[in-house]
Amino acid sequence: MFALVALAAARLVFPEAQARAQPAPPPSASPPASPTSPQASPSASESPANGTAPEPPPPAEDADNVEPSTEQPGELETEVYQDHEFGPAILIEDINITGNTATQSQVIRRVLPITAGEVLRASDKRLREARFKVLALGFFRDVTVALRKGSQRGRVIVDVKVVERGTLVLNRLWFGSTTLTPWWLGADVGERNMFGLGIAVGAGFIFARHGHVDDARDQYAGELRVADPSVGGTRWGASWVTTLVHGSEPYRVSGGDRDISAERQRAFPYRRLGMRLGATYNVSPLTRLAVGLRAESISATVPSAPTRELISGETIAVDLHLDPGASRVVTASIGFDRDSRPEPILPHAGDRLLVMAELGGGLIGSSYDFATLFGSYEHYWPVRGNQALAIKLVGGLVVGDAPRFDLIHIADVDHMLTPRALGLVLSTSVPLALLRTRADKPTYGDLGGSASVEYAVEMFRGRGKRRVYGADVFLGVGLWGLADRADLRARDTTLFEALPIDIYFDAGMRLDTDIGTFELTIANAVGRLR
Amino acid sequence: MKRALVAAALLSIATPALADDDKPEFQHMRFVESGEYLTVSTQRPGGIGKLFDAGAYESLRTEPTCTVAIRIQITPLDSNTPVAEQLLVREAVFDMWDETYTLRLDQPGGSKLIKKVKAHAEVLKWLTAIDDVPVAPLSALPIDRVFVLKMIVQLNPVSGELLAEVRRSLSQGTGGGLDRGGAAFGSFVALFLNPKIADADRVLRIRSQPFFRPP
Repeated sequence: MFALVALAAARLVFPEAQARAQPAPPPSASPPASPTSPQASPSASESPANGTAPEPPPPAEDADNVEPSTEQPGELETEVYQDHEFGPAILIEDINITGNTATQSQVIRRVLPITAGEVLRASDKRLREARFKVLALGFFRDVTVALRKGSQRGRVIVDVKVVERGTLVLNRLWFGSTTLTPWWLGADVGERNMFGLGIAVGAGFIFARHGHVDDARDQYAGELRVADPSVGGTRWGASWVTTLVHGSEPYRVSGGDRDISAERQRAFPYRRLGMRLGATYNVSPLTRLAVGLRAESISATVPSAPTRELISGETIAVDLHLDPGASRVVTASIGFDRDSRPEPILPHAGDRLLVMAELGGGLIGSSYDFATLFGSYEHYWPVRGNQALAIKLVGGLVVGDAPRFDLIHIADVDHMLTPRALGLVLSTSVPLALLRTRADKPTYGDLGGSASVEYAVEMFRGRGKRRVYGADVFLGVGLWGLADRADLRARDTTLFEALPIDIYFDAGMRLDTDIGTFELTIANAVGRLR
Repeated sequence: MKRALVAAALLSIATPALADDDKPEFQHMRFVESGEYLTVSTQRPGGIGKLFDAGAYESLRTEPTCTVAIRIQITPLDSNTPVAEQLLVREAVFDMWDETYTLRLDQPGGSKLIKKVKAHAEVLKWLTAIDDVPVAPLSALPIDRVFVLKMIVQLNPVSGELLAEVRRSLSQGTGGGLDRGGAAFGSFVALFLNPKIADADRVLRIRSQPFFRPP
């Protein structure tokens, strides 16, 4: 318990400075030797050096103004212990949960670190943490934990009083306009506590109007999700996702590398219907393992022999990375997630590592034999109290005969392009050529990633009184790269000009508010306006 | 145009919070050289008693443990670099069957003083009294410099790890992977009721008058 308090106290940061002080003075006289009449040995050391101090305002509703107690102060005993817990031993006779109208009591009971029948010290840290374990469910605006007498001496009843909150979440909002897609609109919403059972459900839908590309059609995609982050109160979680994509995939048939006009493109229709089953295991509060199974059917009307005519007049074959007609994708995956950032929304310290591997093949019924490995790592260093420096690495590798949709798309690595939404490609914009490296960077690749450095400055941190908890401004710069590994094996120019890499910049603001979190970035805006 | 309006609206929400409640309260304190150390005492009507409002005061009888963490820094008036620091942690639990309080109070050398106290009001005094608390060795306070004492007092502070666990849990559900999603000119990372989990039930920030050691 003391460790808990010491940790908390160690987090206290004075607004101006962190400690680079001399060691704390050791001889701490016991806090109040005589609480009401301190020993006075006035010396001349007290002197206002800079002006006269104003009188501090009287406390508004403080305990000093409470009616004086008529009880006689009595010191019963004084001892010095080094124990971690203290106070009387108590037996928890019952746990009484009130205030929950939508959430079932069992959902609350199973996250409590204490159970009826346990014997513990009154200062046990599990009692103190109980409030936060319930708050972490995300279903309550406030939680109080109090003790009262039980039926016999030494027994107590724990009262847990909760105040429920709304649990509807708007996860994503999609809209924009590009040459390929005159407009698109979509949203993803979720309910984190369906029927009060602690089960999360979610749904997303997007519609994208087709432009003037030959054979293009209107696109839409939808997703339904159900997840239980803690099955039966255990460390295991389970999820189920169904996805339908009615899409139209563009590919270049002629023109220069930077010509994105509609007449230089063609599209082919496809449909995907898939399902994912997943399980998670919380190894610790910071670390989670995940496994999953994916089954998906694809129906694509792929041109029999797609080609592209280069400016030089040469005609080359185009690989669309899809089997014509009907095909299946069946995969198994495993993932690892460790997040040590104390504040995930406006991080200034800690790190996060995500790794996911997926394997598909004929042995488990897939039409495509392939494997993917994706990973990301972020590390944040606090700088001078209210600033932070971060590195962010993202990378992926695809091996084998992967379907088109499992390859790395250029917008996955270049943040200045319109990202895919629910799997739909919404733009054919090419990346800005800032480094004058390889001009014909591929739209899809099997090796890609980005490395960036970001500098964030805290604009403010509040206490929530004004509904905005904090904001950061940030500036980032990074390198991204995307390649088809076959292209890397042979080149007819200098190494630098052959490298499929480029640079990107980003700057913006992140807001943490009581209605959610927002990110306004220049890179995002640039990606939507081209 | 609409995008610009959305951005402006968000900025207008953000601006009022710039001056939130982190300003320290000024209190006149008494500094005394005692042996080799400087001690400090708060003076009424100041002190840290206001950490407890009526509700918190009554909760002493019902909540599992009441903790007061007092962190004291002494810095030169013209600098933010502390020359000395002191951390005091004071805790109280109530035995509802004996109707007594058990106090655990920081002692020299890192040990803890355990006391039993009968009166409700007496507990409050033990938790909040700042009387002749040694805050710095005199050797750390040159005679020719002016200093100021800064104090942060927390009621029931929460450990950083526990707070981070809650924050992580509350911010889940935003999707992930390489499909970033988002909207034009920015993205809604997530839109939901996002209650602030404070790192303590109540916090006081106090600053003393400037002081110096006379020659």
